[in-house]
Amino acid sequence: MNFEPNILGFLCNWCSYAGADLAGVSRMQYPTNIKVIRVMCSGRIDPKFIFQALQVGADGVIVMGCHPGDCHYLEGNYEAENKFNMVQKLLKFINFNNRVRLEWVSASEGARFAAVVEDFTNQIKQLGPSPLRRDNPDNNVLEKMKAIEAAAATNRLRALVGKQRNITEQENKYGEKIPEEQFIELMDQAIKDEYERNRILLALEKESKSVKNLAAELKIDPSVVLEHMLILKARIQVDFQEIIGNTPIFMRL
Amino acid sequence: MEENSKNALVIGGGIAGIQAALDLADIGIKVHLVEKKPCIGGKMAQLDKTFPTLDCSICILAPKLSECYRHRNITLYTLSEVQKVNGSNGNFSVEILKHARYVKEEECTNCGDCARICPVRGVSNYFDADLMTQAAVYIPFPSAVPPVYLVDREMCVYLKYKICGLCYEACERKAMDFTQKDEIITLDNIGSIIVATGYNLIEDIDPLKKYGYKRYKNVVTALEFERLISASGPQEGHLKRLSDGKEPTKIAFLQCIGSRTDRGQKYCSSICCMYSTKEAMIAHEHNNELESYVFYIDMRAGGKGFQQFINRGKNEYNIKYIKSKIAEIKIDDEENPIIIYDEVNTSEIKQLKVDLVVLATCIIPPEGIDSLANVLGIELNEYNFIKTKPFYPMETSKEGIFTCGCVHEPMDIPRSVAEASSAAAKVAEIIKEG
Amino acid sequence: MSENVEEEPIRIGTFICHCGSNIGGLIDCEKLAEYASTLPNVAYSEHNLYTCSETGLAAIRKAVEEQNLNRVIVASCTPRTHEPLFRDCIQEAGLNPYLFNFVNIRDQCTWVHMKYPEEAYEKAKDLVRMGVAKAARLESLDKIIVNVNPSALVIGGGVSGMNTAISLGKQGFKTYLIEKEDELGGRLKNLYKLFPYDQEASLLLDELKSKIEKNQNLTVYTSSKVKFIEGFIGNYEVEIEQNDNIINLNVGAIIVAVGASLFNPFDLFRYDGKTRITQLELEELLKNNKLKANNIVMIQCVGARNEERVYCSSVCCMTALKNALIIKEKNPNAQLTILFRDLYTPGTIYEEYYRNAREQGILFIKYSPEQELLVEEDTVKVFNEYLGEEITIPYDLLVLSTPLVANDDNKSLAQLLKVPLEENKFFLEAHVKLRPIDFATDGVYLCGSAKWPVDITESITQGLAAASRASTILSHETIEVEGATSFLPEYNRNLCSGCEVCITVCPFKAISKNEADEIEIRQVLCKGCGVCGATCTNQAIVIRHFTDEQILSEIYAFGGK
Repeated sequence: MNFEPNILGFLCNWCSYAGADLAGVSRMQYPTNIKVIRVMCSGRIDPKFIFQALQVGADGVIVMGCHPGDCHYLEGNYEAENKFNMVQKLLKFINFNNRVRLEWVSASEGARFAAVVEDFTNQIKQLGPSPLRRDNPDNNVLEKMKAIEAAAATNRLRALVGKQRNITEQENKYGEKIPEEQFIELMDQAIKDEYERNRILLALEKESKSVKNLAAELKIDPSVVLEHMLILKARIQVDFQEIIGNTPIFMRL
Repeated sequence: MEENSKNALVIGGGIAGIQAALDLADIGIKVHLVEKKPCIGGKMAQLDKTFPTLDCSICILAPKLSECYRHRNITLYTLSEVQKVNGSNGNFSVEILKHARYVKEEECTNCGDCARICPVRGVSNYFDADLMTQAAVYIPFPSAVPPVYLVDREMCVYLKYKICGLCYEACERKAMDFTQKDEIITLDNIGSIIVATGYNLIEDIDPLKKYGYKRYKNVVTALEFERLISASGPQEGHLKRLSDGKEPTKIAFLQCIGSRTDRGQKYCSSICCMYSTKEAMIAHEHNNELESYVFYIDMRAGGKGFQQFINRGKNEYNIKYIKSKIAEIKIDDEENPIIIYDEVNTSEIKQLKVDLVVLATCIIPPEGIDSLANVLGIELNEYNFIKTKPFYPMETSKEGIFTCGCVHEPMDIPRSVAEASSAAAKVAEIIKEG
Repeated sequence: MSENVEEEPIRIGTFICHCGSNIGGLIDCEKLAEYASTLPNVAYSEHNLYTCSETGLAAIRKAVEEQNLNRVIVASCTPRTHEPLFRDCIQEAGLNPYLFNFVNIRDQCTWVHMKYPEEAYEKAKDLVRMGVAKAARLESLDKIIVNVNPSALVIGGGVSGMNTAISLGKQGFKTYLIEKEDELGGRLKNLYKLFPYDQEASLLLDELKSKIEKNQNLTVYTSSKVKFIEGFIGNYEVEIEQNDNIINLNVGAIIVAVGASLFNPFDLFRYDGKTRITQLELEELLKNNKLKANNIVMIQCVGARNEERVYCSSVCCMTALKNALIIKEKNPNAQLTILFRDLYTPGTIYEEYYRNAREQGILFIKYSPEQELLVEEDTVKVFNEYLGEEITIPYDLLVLSTPLVANDDNKSLAQLLKVPLEENKFFLEAHVKLRPIDFATDGVYLCGSAKWPVDITESITQGLAAASRASTILSHETIEVEGATSFLPEYNRNLCSGCEVCITVCPFKAISKNEADEIEIRQVLCKGCGVCGATCTNQAIVIRHFTDEQILSEIYAFGGK
């Protein structure tokens, strides 16, 4: 069966969109699967755009911006990269990380644009249709995707990724600069934590549960679930509903 | 700006001319921007990337080209040359010769149907340093401004022999117009003039036989190399040597070709140390195995971030800098160039065999500078560049006529841009006081 | 007509362009127009041969009027060339220009899928559907207009700043020139002669001072420092302190021309300020005719082009040549040796100057940083590769050519102005190649050695350039900026937690906190990149013309909704 992927591309006005136009002017041919949304800067891409695109059935999403140093708005592409990395790490939990890509294409790289689109289209063809295909989405994966989207929308992750460059590249008021590896480590942990926490929240939305049941349902270690639960309680997102025997049942607030 | 205030004339649509025109237009002064070639952008449009930032040249230039084209205060005349200048500071009258394009600018949609059907091929394309050929009806490069095709009057068989005319049929907008004639346009009310006509390169007048240029296929000039490594050039950036299509793994960049010599020009072209490093870096990005050798006399990297750029070249891009004097270039049976040189640091005569040689050639005054200087009534210096006032390099020998960029001295883009703004300041002083 | 467009029912007009056969030759534009008419909110749909032609534009205007359209879409080539044209067109028909959306079905569709007409047609349908979805959510936007105070502040009264002030004054702008020392002139006061014309610095200084005095538009404040700056382009409030008085100024633009300082060699090469001196100290001796030495050795690149200070200071080689030639002229028997690594004399005039210096009998000996120079009490030992051994050069005066370094107070000034410094602490311009005189923050400009070590000629050039750049703002009573900016709507005020991450990511410093501790986005500084909107931790910020809602509607339309 010939699977024709549905691919969404976000192109920045000054570089990649111009590169795509150049490919057109030069009549460079590439697969028809990609549809483009134009933004002024790749830094405009809010993680939720990518998640929503995948949820409406995109088989692949590609974000293209200017090469580092070339951004028309000076630094937007660096921000885009950090957000994208976070998005890709979250998507790894559902094996969607290869369904998204970030590429730098300049206004003079018409041939490269065509090559990138061809390559990405083939990549998505290899992966097959997205489990979130509109007509028949996999609900299990959809649940997880919703947790991913909610995690990315947390204050914590948005703040971390927003301040990443500032924290790792500039000294703070105490003259300290946090090394990039240290930040990434912290970020990776935060990504995992918020993802799991949001899975817990979504599970509790359907039905109040105990830590043990949640752990079994979500396949997360019970001690980890408990730790998350305490944080979520402190965040006033969950609370005790009742205690059955010795087991507390938690509910979504 | 009042209705009856004077206008400004900028001669030359390279980066310096463009910057000057934009500054003046933004200040509110009406500008006539005259460019000899079919499009604006000058040499900068032909570059792949620029030092020291390695920005894509056309990416940073294109917004300025667009702005120039659309600015309500700028009137652009391409394929045009200044023929006569009368008057004096504050009140010039200028005659421009606008060559016929044979295409209606308002109708052309840049679709390219005319070029595709044109039977005349093999016309040299100046934009690609003559490495590519095109049809007799062409656009210098896809994103040229104005985005309009033009006919090469020497190569078009309709214009020469009244045969063909296929492009006329092919164009749906009926934009081809062989009835167009060159026209003289008179511009009165010019308060002040800026000359920014850029530069030529020594290979434009000298076959550089000594270095094997044109004799050996694997000896190219820096501009040719720039087009070869360019993503939008003849090889789309996949560098292959011209003799056998082999990917070079060893490239030699020879500095001061025609510069700093008693047997050529005595002066320094100032940008070549930097651009050779840049070209080596770009080539290395396409091929990580590449070894580059820069043969130089004195390293000139005094601009902002320049020395760091050179250091990066040494440390990250496998570029070796050899202080040397070149004696000769030979080739072996496989057309590999062999460089024979005197290595200054060890005072030994050595040889190096490479796959490709890139000549950093001397920057010379642009074509037609003598006649333009004559027309404007300004003096040239002993190098035939425009003569400028001590400490005020934007001022020429004639009041009210200013200059900027390489037409008075070889220089890099940041300096050209700053000078363009400084010339604009001078013009603004005159026109506003006016 | 579009007074309250947002309250009217949405009536979109779609115009599908054939672009001759460029689009129409591959896909059926009539059918596409029919499809468009079935989409939600589309009140009218037509197809044209050349929408950008006068006929096409007239057709759009006619349809807007007759069909009461309040949104327009053109599906044809690319917005990058034609959006302004169509925006102007609908504006003429009485619609706000931002109520227009462009769908690219040529450069990014028919031209690149020439062998797949059916697929190209399906794709064009998708793109039109997405374009219509966004168009339905477009809003009228106004350009932002800001008053401009036609006056300028030039910080730094050296050769660069003085030229800026003179040019601005001549152009009719009231200009305040601030200088921290008690006299104007900067380095010009210490220099003897200026290369490459060997003119006396005092002549140039007097000329500039005289021009400043004569110009009624210029006010000079010496012994003055900037204490406080508030505001934005066109509207700066500045507080300066002169001796103990506070003076308040209102200006439209600010130019930084604070120059640089000379590196102090400390004890490099046994520097002692008497027998082993800097070039600047040599200038002093030459000026006052106090030079007694006969054997002078100059060392280039002292404290420069090394690990600590990577850069080449660009002016030191010419300075050494100039001073050597002056000495040689005064005392033809003097023995002058210049020890160099690379001679920095680029261009026509400087290269000639170097040739002349060689011809005058000045000795040039190359040294490499790997083989250290040994400076003793009255000799310098340098390794020479031609001889293959060390040579000893006697001196009774050793002159060290040291680099220009950034002023110590650059950091505090940078903080006052909210402009950045680069790693050597010189000020950092918006773009090294194409915007060398601008800061990324609009309304503030930079020239001279404050930016990077430059000679007198280039200081003057850049000073004038700064005047031109400032003039592009000051020449207008108001300045207008594109309306597609970022803003924090009142209805989202409660979402803002004051975290300030938006402030951190804006490269144009358009966002700040006002006295009420509220986030404020300066519309006139905003370039509409949208990074703040994508970053805001509570998603409170709205990016006009590329709102979340608009982009999401395109995404949903892509998905087929």
